[in-house]
Amino acid sequence: MNSGFEVDYAQIYKTFHTGIPILGDFQLTETLIVSWIVMIIITGLCIFLTRDLKIENISKRQAFAEMLVETGNNFVRNNTGSNKFDKLIPFVSALFATSVVSNLISLIGLRSPTADLSTEAAWAIVVFIMITSTKIKTNGFGGYLKGFTTPIAVMTPFNILSELATPVSMACRHFGNILSGVVIDGLIYWALGLASAALFGLIPGAVGDFLSKIPILGVGIPAVTGVYFDWFSGCMQAFIFCMLTVMYIANAAEEG
Amino acid sequence: MDIQALMLITAETKQTQELVTLVPWTFIIQICNLFIQVFLIKKFLFKPINDILEKRKNLADKSIREAREAQSEADSLKEQYEDSLTNAHAEAAKIVSEAQKEAQTKADTLVREAQEEAASIKARAVADIEQEKKKAINEAKDEIGSLAMDIAGKVVEKEISESDHKKLIDDFLNKVGA
Repeated sequence: MNSGFEVDYAQIYKTFHTGIPILGDFQLTETLIVSWIVMIIITGLCIFLTRDLKIENISKRQAFAEMLVETGNNFVRNNTGSNKFDKLIPFVSALFATSVVSNLISLIGLRSPTADLSTEAAWAIVVFIMITSTKIKTNGFGGYLKGFTTPIAVMTPFNILSELATPVSMACRHFGNILSGVVIDGLIYWALGLASAALFGLIPGAVGDFLSKIPILGVGIPAVTGVYFDWFSGCMQAFIFCMLTVMYIANAAEEG
Repeated sequence: MDIQALMLITAETKQTQELVTLVPWTFIIQICNLFIQVFLIKKFLFKPINDILEKRKNLADKSIREAREAQSEADSLKEQYEDSLTNAHAEAAKIVSEAQKEAQTKADTLVREAQEEAASIKARAVADIEQEKKKAINEAKDEIGSLAMDIAGKVVEKEISESDHKKLIDDFLNKVGA
């Protein structure tokens, strides 16, 4: 057992030199690999849930799949208050599913792709572009620019700042919560390892030497803290991210 | 052991990226991943489930529509029956009234004929009576004539010839009767 505290960094498996100036080298990181695993899991689940669909006499599996779809539909429709945004439903659902599965995949020992800021930044930028395009579509490009000068022209810099703060805050909120979960999990394992080493080191002789090398206290206790830091936080952040997405886009369509 | 040293060690053993960093390629690939995921979830979850929901809705709609059609058909049939019933009632009433009218006419005719007949019978009776009366008067005339002749014969006791006699009586009667 390493006595030092170690945070779970994202590994880089392979680096490809692309030679493109700004983008730099392409790194095949743990984030990407686990992202693909997450995608495979979600898609596999979808395919499994929608096997042999029937109109009548549906199976429990189909009922569950229908429930998921209905939940997605209701989530978007209730939060926007209309059917105008039905095109968003698959997007928001995909976002939520990816986020939840990514957050919870740390439970099986893989590193969450959401513990990498690049992931959240990517999502937040997509959402930001959607918000902006909705605003432009609603008010026209002139109206969109004019929106920055409300209520008075002096506010323009602040409005621009707050506009830019939207994706940054969305990305950082999600990232921070998941990263803190990763860090705290690391801390807990580390502390429990030290504690069990100290505790079983008290047993004299070879038995004590052997037992003190195994972090016995690490079994069980992290599961309790994990309920909050992994389960609750993971689901909550996914929900918040999707909720904000829907809200911002709905607001963008109402303006003007 | 401090964290800096640890990081050096880990950097030697396995390559890691920094804890808080934005890697452009990862960023781009994650955007692509998100859209691929949207596409996959749309294709494998939303499309089939929405299709099924749509089909079920259509089925329910169809049942409702069929029920509604059956109801409207029943309604129209009922209306038709009611119409024909009303017609039948009207027809019956018409027949009855016609029958009544006819009966009335017939009765009226009968009464009129009876009245006419009664009138004709009465008229004939009156004529008969008149004739009888005439006849009776003539007979009485004859009777009175012969009686007067007898009485005169007896009073005068004088035989006059039958023809004189007759002439005498006729004169008398003409003076009396006319």
